Amino acid sequence: MLKGKQAKILLFIVCVILGTMLSTQFRSAEQARNTIAQERAENLVEKLKAAEKENKIMAEKVKKMEDKSGNEALAKEIQNLKSKAGEIPMTGPGIQVTVDDSKVVHKPGENPNLYIIHDDDLLRLINELRAAGAEAISINKERLLDVSEIRCAGPTVSVNNNRFSPPYIIVAIGKPETLDSALRLRGGVIETLKFWGISVEVEKSDKLTVPAFKGTRHYEYAKPQISSKEGETK
Amino acid sequence: MIIILIIGVVLGIVLGLYIPIVPQAYVKLLSVALMASLDTVFGGIRAVKEGCYDSQVFISGFFVNGIFAAFLCYCGIRLGIDLYYVAVLAFGLRIFDNIAIIRRLYLKK
Repeated sequence: MLKGKQAKILLFIVCVILGTMLSTQFRSAEQARNTIAQERAENLVEKLKAAEKENKIMAEKVKKMEDKSGNEALAKEIQNLKSKAGEIPMTGPGIQVTVDDSKVVHKPGENPNLYIIHDDDLLRLINELRAAGAEAISINKERLLDVSEIRCAGPTVSVNNNRFSPPYIIVAIGKPETLDSALRLRGGVIETLKFWGISVEVEKSDKLTVPAFKGTRHYEYAKPQISSKEGETK
Repeated sequence: MIIILIIGVVLGIVLGLYIPIVPQAYVKLLSVALMASLDTVFGGIRAVKEGCYDSQVFISGFFVNGIFAAFLCYCGIRLGIDLYYVAVLAFGLRIFDNIAIIRRLYLKK
């Protein structure tokens, strides 16, 4: 057994160490709680800010370069190409189609899938609109271009890699009457969808806006074929 | 005597607020060591109540248990075995046992 005084000093040291461990542990636990969630969020915010900044700088650069070209004919050509590429919002007369899931209560034993909108329903609508001469189409403010997909993504539909849930609002610019009647053909899209109670509302309008394509397109595999003779390209 | 011990703990807590935080990788080791130390402390209190307290046993137990628990946990991390949970569980159970006994001894008086 240790002597009284020595034991007391040692006990005191033990207590100091115990207290130190307690508070250190408390602090590191506190820190761990804060950091894991916060660090990630902060990191992401920083990345987003940097990306936004870069985007802005790039956009300014593009604008400067376009202005620099000076040539009016060239600027016009650029504008023309841009609108053809879907990089400019388009406006004009057309129709707005609102599609929503069926409100009909389905009978037990029936497949509930029949009463909701699927990607192929939307594709058929779009196809019909295109066939009727729609010049610019968007779904829920997403411009539809040649690279756009309309794809089933669980309970949602993915357009241009963005997911949307019903209701879907399709805006098509073209001759309103033609577009409208194309959808209302007997045995056409609307009739089929109506059968299942899916609501399709068509609204004609003189002035509708289809936003610009927000994504990017890049060619990884496809390369333009350059040939001296026009006839050689098949 | 008790006052001295309380002062010691408070001093330790204040000291702990100023020393740098243990890196995340070693937090588990420290927590196991802390559990072992707490276990020893409660064991010591129980021994005092039972009248068989030996400061040598207590002090050596405090350090050896803490260090050895941390070492075992470290080995567990290296080997991919979660000894951390085992240690925390075992020490936790023992602490509760000791507290129960201490409570009874107090009530008996």
